[in-house]
Amino acid sequence: MDVLKFAIRKLLGGIPLILGVTFIAFLLMVYFGPDLTYEKLGKNPTPEEIAEIRHQLGYDQPFLTRYGTYLKQLVTLDFGYADIRDLKVSDILKETMPVSLHLIIPGFILGNVIAVILALIAAYHRSSWVDKLIMTGSVIGMSISFLIVIIVFQLIFSSSYGLGWFPVRGWEVYDADGGIIWLEYLKYVTVPTLATVFVALGYNTRFYRAVLVEEMTKDHVRTAKAFGHGTKALLFKGVLKNAMVPIITRVMFSIPLVVVSGSLLIESYFGIPGVGKVTYDAILAGDQNILKAIVGLTAVLFVIVLLLTDILYRVFDPRVELK
Amino acid sequence: MLKIIKISILLLFLVAGVSCTESDSTETLQQEPVKKLDSKYPGKKVYRHSMDGTPTTLDPVRAAVIYSNFVVLNIFDTLYSYKYLARPYELKPNLATSMPDVSEDGLTYTINIKKGVFFHDDVSFENGVGRELVAQDVIYSIQRHFDKQFQSQGAWLFAGRIVGLDDWKKNGSDYSQEIEGLQAIDSHTIQIKLIEPYPQLIYTLAMGFTAVVPREAVEHYGVEFGSKPVGSGPFILDSFNQEKAVLFANPKFRKESLDLAYEGYNEEKHGFTGVKALDGLAPPYIDVMEIHFVMETSSRWNSFTKGDEIQYTTVPKEKASTVIQSKKPLTLYPEIVEKYHHTFMVESGFVYSGFDMSNPAFGITGDPVQDEKNKALRCAIRKSFNWDQRNRAFYFNLGTVFPGAITPSVMEFDPDFDKESITVDIEGAKKLLADAGWTPESLPVLEYHSTGGTLYRMFYEQFRGFLKKIGYPVNKIKFKPYPSFGAFNKALKNGQTPYFSLAWGLDYPDAENTLQLFYGPNHAPGSNNFNYMNPEFDKKFEEAKIMQPSPERTKLYNELNQILVEDCVAVSGLARNRIYLWHKDTIMFPDREILGGFFAKYVDVKN
Repeated sequence: MDVLKFAIRKLLGGIPLILGVTFIAFLLMVYFGPDLTYEKLGKNPTPEEIAEIRHQLGYDQPFLTRYGTYLKQLVTLDFGYADIRDLKVSDILKETMPVSLHLIIPGFILGNVIAVILALIAAYHRSSWVDKLIMTGSVIGMSISFLIVIIVFQLIFSSSYGLGWFPVRGWEVYDADGGIIWLEYLKYVTVPTLATVFVALGYNTRFYRAVLVEEMTKDHVRTAKAFGHGTKALLFKGVLKNAMVPIITRVMFSIPLVVVSGSLLIESYFGIPGVGKVTYDAILAGDQNILKAIVGLTAVLFVIVLLLTDILYRVFDPRVELK
Repeated sequence: MLKIIKISILLLFLVAGVSCTESDSTETLQQEPVKKLDSKYPGKKVYRHSMDGTPTTLDPVRAAVIYSNFVVLNIFDTLYSYKYLARPYELKPNLATSMPDVSEDGLTYTINIKKGVFFHDDVSFENGVGRELVAQDVIYSIQRHFDKQFQSQGAWLFAGRIVGLDDWKKNGSDYSQEIEGLQAIDSHTIQIKLIEPYPQLIYTLAMGFTAVVPREAVEHYGVEFGSKPVGSGPFILDSFNQEKAVLFANPKFRKESLDLAYEGYNEEKHGFTGVKALDGLAPPYIDVMEIHFVMETSSRWNSFTKGDEIQYTTVPKEKASTVIQSKKPLTLYPEIVEKYHHTFMVESGFVYSGFDMSNPAFGITGDPVQDEKNKALRCAIRKSFNWDQRNRAFYFNLGTVFPGAITPSVMEFDPDFDKESITVDIEGAKKLLADAGWTPESLPVLEYHSTGGTLYRMFYEQFRGFLKKIGYPVNKIKFKPYPSFGAFNKALKNGQTPYFSLAWGLDYPDAENTLQLFYGPNHAPGSNNFNYMNPEFDKKFEEAKIMQPSPERTKLYNELNQILVEDCVAVSGLARNRIYLWHKDTIMFPDREILGGFFAKYVDVKN
């Protein structure tokens, strides 16, 4: 019951956050986003045709009226039709979000799990050559631009100039009924996952190592060592479990971006029809309906993630109270 | 409680996993009557095309960009199309049985359409079976441009041209009302009555804008017709997303054998393509066409060179050094020639810069003395422009530089036209400025307006370098970038761009299409972004625009071009040269210019 009350309180508390984020984002879209009037018109438009298009685009309405419409769309989850394709925004998201999830989840999980393992090893062997080796690798991962990593990995693993083991582009992973063909899935997801993991490992390992090193200097770890606990028990029970709060924070806060924004660069370069590519195209085309949906849903997801994160803190650390 | 939460989280993840597995990303786009093949199309002939942009709609009334047009022309039928191989471009009947019967005064066009042409099977038809295409469908497809609910981008082709059509729109676009100038004489005959002669009408009937749509499907799908198009063309859309469109051959497509001699086949020019083997066979020859939309050049190149992915690409700028061995004459490296078929083609459009003539600093002020001074300034700026350097720095020296606004791709192009306007003349420019009384102090600030981005910044820097040579103070030359083309376009249409750079792609192979960019009544927000108003030019243009192609019209076109050059309205121009590469197992002669995709129905792939 306490959890339920906490959840309701937290969700209500998230409303100002959603309003704030959507208001600022909408303000930017309206005043700094592209004006689509002339994109939608033919070559020699009359003043009447210009006025008509501006009316259809809602440009002739006051800002607050337009923002009110946006909030209504967010509540009803009906964002109207997209400009980048003649489909409802909700249909486009329904179609593309699962693709992005299937694409990103392996890299997301591996990028975090491997980073935690490497961070544990580095932290345990602090200041030794093992630690230095892992940290050097992390810095390399952090230093190289994601775009370069994608291009190089594509060249090495997919192109005819490299190994050519995997497809350069495409996402032919579903059968006629929409189920996954696992072998095809592996073929198409491997290189994007390798690129994602390569970059994610750099940032994640460095962050997790810092957290774990701090935990290792705590009294309870020293005491456990003194009592002769084995390395495995020490690392997993004494260190990792107690360091879960910052780890959960980092993992959970990545989720909204993974779910809603997808991976723009990965999807563009590997020709994967996910929500990241849709977002990218919407930004270029100034498709406000899609951008409103993406911003709004990301804000809502953040609020939900905030709630789940607090609950998870309690799961891993009983000292945390849900207030 | 904590255990319950832990179990709930576990269940949530499981449910999420299951739902992800079962979701169908293509479900919403699936055309109900079309049986979906599996992703590998076993036993099917597949051609994988690539384009460097993504279509936003497949509704003909909004097929304003080449990417949309390419797909539209393969799903729908147009009354006319261009011959597959003939250059300069030549029209031929497509859905029409013959070229139109034009009345002597050039005002009435009578067109017969083929019998036995059927729309693709679709749920919007009775029993899901495509019905026969009739004259009324052609009428409806043109009428739609004048119905504001469809947000047409092609209405300009017919506005003020067809008797009664503009009034029909004013009266609320009521489809039950007849339009005098747009009539179905019988089920397979259309009659178009014009307000004044419009020789370009025939070209407009070969554009994606006038592709024939069935009213039932438009009404059934509403806005989504642009994602679920139903036509009568050689291919049926299976799926369409941000990355690719998949089209299946239309099994009911009319059997019309390819007549290579009629299509302009030339053994010397086209022999290497293997298209000769298709002579006498009825297209489409492939079962599946995938059209990949790939903007990232490295990705497109890797996919093309992979061997089993896309089979066609234009050569991206970044790969020019990998492909081009020499520029004059243009030759490719032997390893490229050995692996791929190729052809070169001058684009049908051009790139240019120009002045807003309504801007008092550079254009017309009404004061004859100042106007002469401004003209000298414009001409001096043009004289400073080094097209050879521009060509070398940005177009691999492959572009064709030409004077004025008549591009090399049209029949009216005069190769002997005076080249003075495209010849750099620093001393001449300095003299012009001095004679007109311009000093570094009195020269106005020149704002260079364009879309933002590194390339455009480089264009600007080069331009600034040109001006510096004629003594234009560099601190008076400002770069005004816009965050998007939409923002730039808005500024253009509102007369806020004293000097701008643009590109234009021809809608049809007639110089009228580029000369109208300078026609007074088309001033911004129309296509005359120069806001050029010259009564002499307008008079001659009005005279020329109603003339059928003839030596007299060509002479008039060249006089118009001369006026533009003399008035120094634009710094023009350069037509880019594109290199097309395709796999040797693909039999075709591609062209992305005015044809815009008609060639795709003639593509074959070797087994």
